Amino acid sequence: MNPEEVEFLGEKQLISIIPTFNSSTIHLVSGDIGPFRASLPVNVPLWVAVNLKQQRKCKIQPPDWMDVEQLELLKEAEKASRNFVKMPSEHYMIEGKLLLSIATDDIARADEVRTIIKDIWDIRMAKLRSSVNTLITGKSYGNVDNLTIMEINSMRPLIPHAMDQIHRMKMERPRFSTPSQSTSLGLLNSSTVISTFK
Amino acid sequence: MSLCYSYTPNYFSIEDILVTQERIPSKFLVNVPKLGKLNPSAEENDIKQGTALDLPFWLADPLSFARHPLISIELPRVYKEAYREILKADATAVDLHKLGLYFYELGLYVKRLDPRREVEAILLHTFRSRFKELMDFADDVVCDPVKQNRLDMFERTLFQKAHFSRMQLKSWLNNSEMRLEAATMVINHKKRKRIDVDDLF
Repeated sequence: MNPEEVEFLGEKQLISIIPTFNSSTIHLVSGDIGPFRASLPVNVPLWVAVNLKQQRKCKIQPPDWMDVEQLELLKEAEKASRNFVKMPSEHYMIEGKLLLSIATDDIARADEVRTIIKDIWDIRMAKLRSSVNTLITGKSYGNVDNLTIMEINSMRPLIPHAMDQIHRMKMERPRFSTPSQSTSLGLLNSSTVISTFK
Repeated sequence: MSLCYSYTPNYFSIEDILVTQERIPSKFLVNVPKLGKLNPSAEENDIKQGTALDLPFWLADPLSFARHPLISIELPRVYKEAYREILKADATAVDLHKLGLYFYELGLYVKRLDPRREVEAILLHTFRSRFKELMDFADDVVCDPVKQNRLDMFERTLFQKAHFSRMQLKSWLNNSEMRLEAATMVINHKKRKRIDVDDLF
């Protein structure tokens, strides 16, 4: 998958906004959104929120975890733990990236939040790489608990292909061809073999 | 994806055709009349018993495995003891491309010629120990052609796929009006303290 495709999946996450306009319910294939009443919070998918924000028709209420203190705690936990810590959101990277790019005015201390999210991402990627390496060298199993889709996707297609190759190496290879007696003896007289070498 | 096709070599797999094209040392056990053409170094019409020739694998394998084998084949040089020792010592330092374009694939074919299964072990060992370097290498934005030339064809395909997806991820991370990035102070700080992974574990 492309990162863009993962982003698309993450954009379905609901987020709370405070609209600045009135509108009745909008019926979409994926579900109804609204109704919108000015200055009453309403939950909408992330992509709607981004769109409305760009038109300056709403204020975004950042998710609870997008807060410097909480993220600091999370970062420390991530540093201290061998395993991956459960992230507050399955798509933290996507939410972080989208909200921090369009709604900096709605997020308190946006710059710090951005830096911490990036730090957490880096720590987790470093862990993921070393975990993958132990997996491939066969020393132990890989540890993928609590990984988000974006992180898992970052190791594709390298890991599945490498694992497949290792499996092939361990497998008994069926013979290249199993000639019957007639072909092996008839081969010498057959003109096809000789013509290949002309 | 082309990589998927190479998993189970099939009739139409170009990779597989190229792999079985590799020549392996074989020795004729019987006199073969009128096939002197196979031996470019001799003028004779016939191939005599005991002639040593390098035949392509697709030809040598069926001939050696018939009920009355016409030839006997042995492991190609690069899978023999001497080379195995080199690979055991440090597989990452070896230029696999020089040892044969399809080191792993051909190895899979010829590994049954070695009853002690040492070829299989060395293939696994080589792949595993070279993997980390391959992974790091795929992460680099700049591809070093010298390093790339040291990869075997399989590793090369793997590298290209991995590199492509890593670059997509990198551009996704950087591609927005407000980038998610480390603080300027950290970037300017010459020696950025790397997260010591060993400490974490």
